[in-house]
Amino acid sequence: MNRTGRIFLAALAGAAVLLFPVVTTTPYYIHTVLMVFLFATMGLGWNLIGGYGAQLSLGHSTFFAIGAYSAVLLMVNYEISPLVGGIVGMVLACGAAVVIGLPCFRLRGPYFCLATIAAGEIARILFLHFQEFTGGANGVPLPFHGDDILTLQFSSKAPYYYLALGLLVAVFVLVRWMEKAKIGRYLAAIREDQDAAESLGVRTDRVKLIAYVLSAAITAAAGVLYAFTVGYIDPDGVASLNLSIEIAVVVIVGGIGTLWGPVLGATVVVLLTELTNMYLGSLRSGASLVLYGLLLIVVVVARPKGLISLFDRAPAASLPKQVGTRVHVA
Amino acid sequence: MDSTIILQTTLNGLMIGGVYALVAVGLTLIFGVMKIVNFAQGEFVMLGMYVSWALATFVGIGPYPGLLIVAVIMFVGGWLTFKLLIIRIIGKSDEAFILLTLGLSIFLQNITLLAFGADYLTVTTTVKDAAIRFGGLAISLPRLIAFGVALVMVAALTLFLNRTDTGRAMRATAESREVATLLGIDPVSCFAVAFGVGTVMAGIAGVLLTPMFYVYPGVGTLFNTTAFIVVVLGGMGSLTGALVGGLLIGIVEALGGTFVSLDLSQLFAFLIFLAVLFVRPSGLFGRSA
Repeated sequence: MNRTGRIFLAALAGAAVLLFPVVTTTPYYIHTVLMVFLFATMGLGWNLIGGYGAQLSLGHSTFFAIGAYSAVLLMVNYEISPLVGGIVGMVLACGAAVVIGLPCFRLRGPYFCLATIAAGEIARILFLHFQEFTGGANGVPLPFHGDDILTLQFSSKAPYYYLALGLLVAVFVLVRWMEKAKIGRYLAAIREDQDAAESLGVRTDRVKLIAYVLSAAITAAAGVLYAFTVGYIDPDGVASLNLSIEIAVVVIVGGIGTLWGPVLGATVVVLLTELTNMYLGSLRSGASLVLYGLLLIVVVVARPKGLISLFDRAPAASLPKQVGTRVHVA
Repeated sequence: MDSTIILQTTLNGLMIGGVYALVAVGLTLIFGVMKIVNFAQGEFVMLGMYVSWALATFVGIGPYPGLLIVAVIMFVGGWLTFKLLIIRIIGKSDEAFILLTLGLSIFLQNITLLAFGADYLTVTTTVKDAAIRFGGLAISLPRLIAFGVALVMVAALTLFLNRTDTGRAMRATAESREVATLLGIDPVSCFAVAFGVGTVMAGIAGVLLTPMFYVYPGVGTLFNTTAFIVVVLGGMGSLTGALVGGLLIGIVEALGGTFVSLDLSQLFAFLIFLAVLFVRPSGLFGRSA
């Protein structure tokens, strides 16, 4: 496809995304696309550490939960606007990322992954345990006080849709910039060979921590928006291992360590699960997750570089066994 | 505090710890030989429970008499899983194995949900409510049987690894894949046996659990995380470590759940897990890398 054709297609896609809530009035459809945006955002954030840095984290729901709980509790208990509470949540998530990251980054491979699972589960247990504060397993409902941008409450789904879209675009631009910046190159070096990077003077622990903290902040921001869109949060919904897994799966299905991978992955995974729920959900629960599990298996076995690799212009000639021995600069 | 309660709680923890150990032994065997973490181990426990339930419900063979049948079915299942899926990603990154087995775990859990529904199923056995009493303490018979069989299985596996040619070949592969290949050992067939045997251990644990646990599609997740904790605590790849780790975690969970708070019982296990990872990643019985 030539350049004009691509620009035309991009403009068409952009217009479709912008006009979608105007064309359809079914809240369910708007909500579904909104969830695509949120998962794409979280995927982009996760990719910073999980993809570019190759540190497989399965504990990101903790940051999502910290963002969601901070904003909701500050609003419900102290009437502090989620615009402020959201920032508080993001800062707290960054703090948690430092506390979790500092010890965990000394671990490698499966050990790092298992440690993030343990940290995430500890956070979930604590959210469940401190009931006076978090409402425990019952969760926290968000009473509706009428449309107001300061309280992030709207009777229609459309404003949330545009907020989520805005967040996605902002994070996308940030990650695109980071890919080309110094930190992106350091992360790529760590992914290829951590010891070599270290010997070349890259302070690997610090680089990984920066990427992890940023990715936590992005995940927390998505958590804030999710909480106010849905109007209810509970530990099993926002702090679960399943959510952590889903964030990672979105990126893996789309294409790990690529810019468009998380966006494509979120689109495929969320639409697939929602569509199966819609058409087969009445049959029996579980159908959508069967497909989701199968998709993950098929991608790992047959398309380890994700679905995005289907769009590669030049099919990579037989790759060496260790994928990518060169350092990606751009 | 009443010392009888402490003793009784410790005893309960010890008994369930035997089952944890059995699940963990399978996991640690797969890790030791193949150097991969199997995230679907808990789902193999769940499948063992369903096969056991199906045998009891449709054929009329109870869990204990059906133990061998379940073991054979599970071995074939594990071996097929290896031949169909796992073999395709040998030589790839740790992450690929984690993600593949994670996908397998999600798939197995939900295909079971699709097939049998979310209902909690039970198997009734004659020993279900039986208990042995002595000196004010009581041990429920299913727990005691589970504990005993778990110990026997771990001992049998140790014998198998030390005394048979296949076992020795597996240990050589665990030591060094390259050297084993030079010695004429086919590492891939060792992997297949390790994965199959690991699956059998999980399946037998499932059978032993059926008389005392509800059977439902999500039951495996309870054992997935616990098995990881046990394996890391004992030292990845160490059978003795998995056994001791399993018993320890069983006791810690029981004591924590009784004397601190039930909803925090898992917290202690996770904290121990992290402490071991940070302080001594090779675990209690592993050799430091």
